[in-house]
Amino acid sequence: MVKEQNIIELHNITVSFDGETVLDDLDLSIKDGEFVTFLGASGCGKTTTLRVIAGFISPDHGDVFFDGARINDLPPHKRQVNTIFQRYALFPHLNVFDNVAFGLKVAGMKKDQIKEKVEEMLELVNMRAFAQRKIHNLSGGQQQRVAIARALVNNPRVLLLDEPLAALDYKLRKDMQNELKRIQRQTGITFIFVTHDQEEALSMSDTVVVMNEGKIQQIGSPTKIYNEPENAFVADFIGESNIIDGVMLDDFKVRLDGRAFKCLDKGFAVNEPVDVVIRPEDVDIVSPEKGELTGEVSSITFKGDYYEMIVDVCGFKWMVQATDEQLVGAKVGLVIEPDAIHIMKKSKYSGMFGDYSTFSTEMDEMEEEARLEEERLEEEAAQEEKGDE
Amino acid sequence: MNNRKGTFSRGLLNAPYVIWSLVFILIPLVFVVYYSFFDLESGRFTLEYVKIFFTKPMYVKAFGISLLYSLIATAISLVIAYPFAYFLSRKKPASQSVQMILIMLPMWMNMLVRTYSWTTILEGNGLINNLLELVGIGPVTMLGTGGAVVLGMVYNYLPYMILPIYTGMSKIGQPLLEAAEDLGCNGFQKLKRVIMPLSLSGVISGIIMVFVPSISTFYISQKMSNGKVVLIGDLIEQQIKEFWAAGGLNRGAAMSFVLMLIILLCTFVMNRFTDDDEGGMII
Ligand SMILES: Nc1ncnc2c1ncn2[C@@H]1O[C@H](COP(=O)(O)OP(=O)(O)O)[C@@H](O)[C@H]1O
Ligand SMILES: [Mg+2]
Repeated sequence: MVKEQNIIELHNITVSFDGETVLDDLDLSIKDGEFVTFLGASGCGKTTTLRVIAGFISPDHGDVFFDGARINDLPPHKRQVNTIFQRYALFPHLNVFDNVAFGLKVAGMKKDQIKEKVEEMLELVNMRAFAQRKIHNLSGGQQQRVAIARALVNNPRVLLLDEPLAALDYKLRKDMQNELKRIQRQTGITFIFVTHDQEEALSMSDTVVVMNEGKIQQIGSPTKIYNEPENAFVADFIGESNIIDGVMLDDFKVRLDGRAFKCLDKGFAVNEPVDVVIRPEDVDIVSPEKGELTGEVSSITFKGDYYEMIVDVCGFKWMVQATDEQLVGAKVGLVIEPDAIHIMKKSKYSGMFGDYSTFSTEMDEMEEEARLEEERLEEEAAQEEKGDE
Repeated sequence: MNNRKGTFSRGLLNAPYVIWSLVFILIPLVFVVYYSFFDLESGRFTLEYVKIFFTKPMYVKAFGISLLYSLIATAISLVIAYPFAYFLSRKKPASQSVQMILIMLPMWMNMLVRTYSWTTILEGNGLINNLLELVGIGPVTMLGTGGAVVLGMVYNYLPYMILPIYTGMSKIGQPLLEAAEDLGCNGFQKLKRVIMPLSLSGVISGIIMVFVPSISTFYISQKMSNGKVVLIGDLIEQQIKEFWAAGGLNRGAAMSFVLMLIILLCTFVMNRFTDDDEGGMII
């Protein structure tokens, strides 16, 4: 059960390595009993944030609070926090039982009590039969379970999980997601979970923290993050989005592609430029004359339960998901309901995402580079010709 | 994959090593064993020479002293090397390799030269005594004592203790140490519960690699003690060099043979301490 009081608070946390800022003025509160997920691409500072909470890194600036007390100077071994490390970090000289018993032995617990607790914990993760196994004789999934048991047996107030499922294959990962969720509910321990997989983040968490370049982009429930992304980065990172330049004409009224649309957003200045997010599944395809916008289908891909098509509307490539097949080159009309439109303030990410000429920015960059290279070659050829004359 | 060809070419690659070990290890070994039990002149089988090792007071004493000094030297090396290797393994990779070279540097110098230079430092009017004289402490006899012999052993063989321990320690990754801290270990508990067990096989290798050359050394003892301390290695050398025909070769061989058995036994016992599947046997 999520309680009202905060168990962890980060205030203005800044961390840099070799002059490079890795966490930039981070503010975050986590409620007792919450399942929180840090979501972001590799290198955005997720692990660093966990290490600040665990005490392995002391921030350059800012404070860490635990249960309302400042713990900046508390060493890791005194924090009521346990970690499941990215590569598990199980002790190779100990068997499964002794790995799980490690924390209890260090704490000086009695032998029979240790035995009881460890066995109970191995039961919870379904590893009781493997108690005497050596670590290197376990599969990835089994090591994962031992790591979970080794952390949980200490009954921490907060459990930090650093991409614990990244090494597992797809189906096992699904099962472990359910299992972790079950364990979290059963124990009521606060979970801080790190992943770069948005689907995983949305399906497991009470709260998702979207990070990029050492900054928090948005904090919110999975539905809030999906339906009301705060900026173009979040909209693009979570699911698929068409992000179109728009102008707010009035409350509940936005202009895009030269046409006014009704929407549910308000509170913007009159004629304020905005980013407009429209999810591909929220666009309806109709005949051209009935459409609010018209375009030409430039590609279509069968995805099993729907078709994904790219529709060219005056040069902007929309992604649309629909159940009816269209022919490439067909003229179609698009209809967008007011509740399908989400308005965002302009940010530094405006214009970087949301057009489906290509899916990835890498592809964009490659194409741009190729174009520049071509221009350069042409120029060279032209120069040579001049020289010949 | 052509399996037969693979085996053949591997065999060809191995050939130099096989020949090497045959000529320089196995055949000499056969000679040592042979002359331990067969009289050089008569060629008859005898246990006489092997028995000397255990019965003649001079030999028993030399062996006792060798054992004592090499154990002390091994213990001192371990005490110096362990913390050294630990701190070294926790440094940045760049400074690790610099320091490693500094450790190896003296090993590139001939052992005789190294030992000889110690004698000039320790002798009656050597460097240390000159310094002591400056502060009014009077010449101290260092050269010729057992301490000097132990010093010589430690100085010569310390790198062989540091290297395997350092190798073992640098394999303990930072995540493992952080996991220990995460589970409540303070510095001492971390050492006891993670670092010591995981560096044990390196320690065993180090002990063997210092103990074995120490117990069978001869040059160090002669130089550092001015011939006052006689180790088993010195006796072997003396017997073979000076009394070759008069049974010296037989006695030298027999002593070498018994010493070898004792060393083998020691390493076997030491290896029992490590896990079978970790580190492996070191002889
Ligand atoms: N100990 C360190 N020294 C130098 N740079 C580091 C260190 N740890 C992390 N970084 C850098 O900080 C950035 C964030 O790293 P990290 O928090 O591990 O990201 P994430 O877990 O989100 O992939 C990366 O660019 C990484 O290279
Ligand atoms: Mg990471």
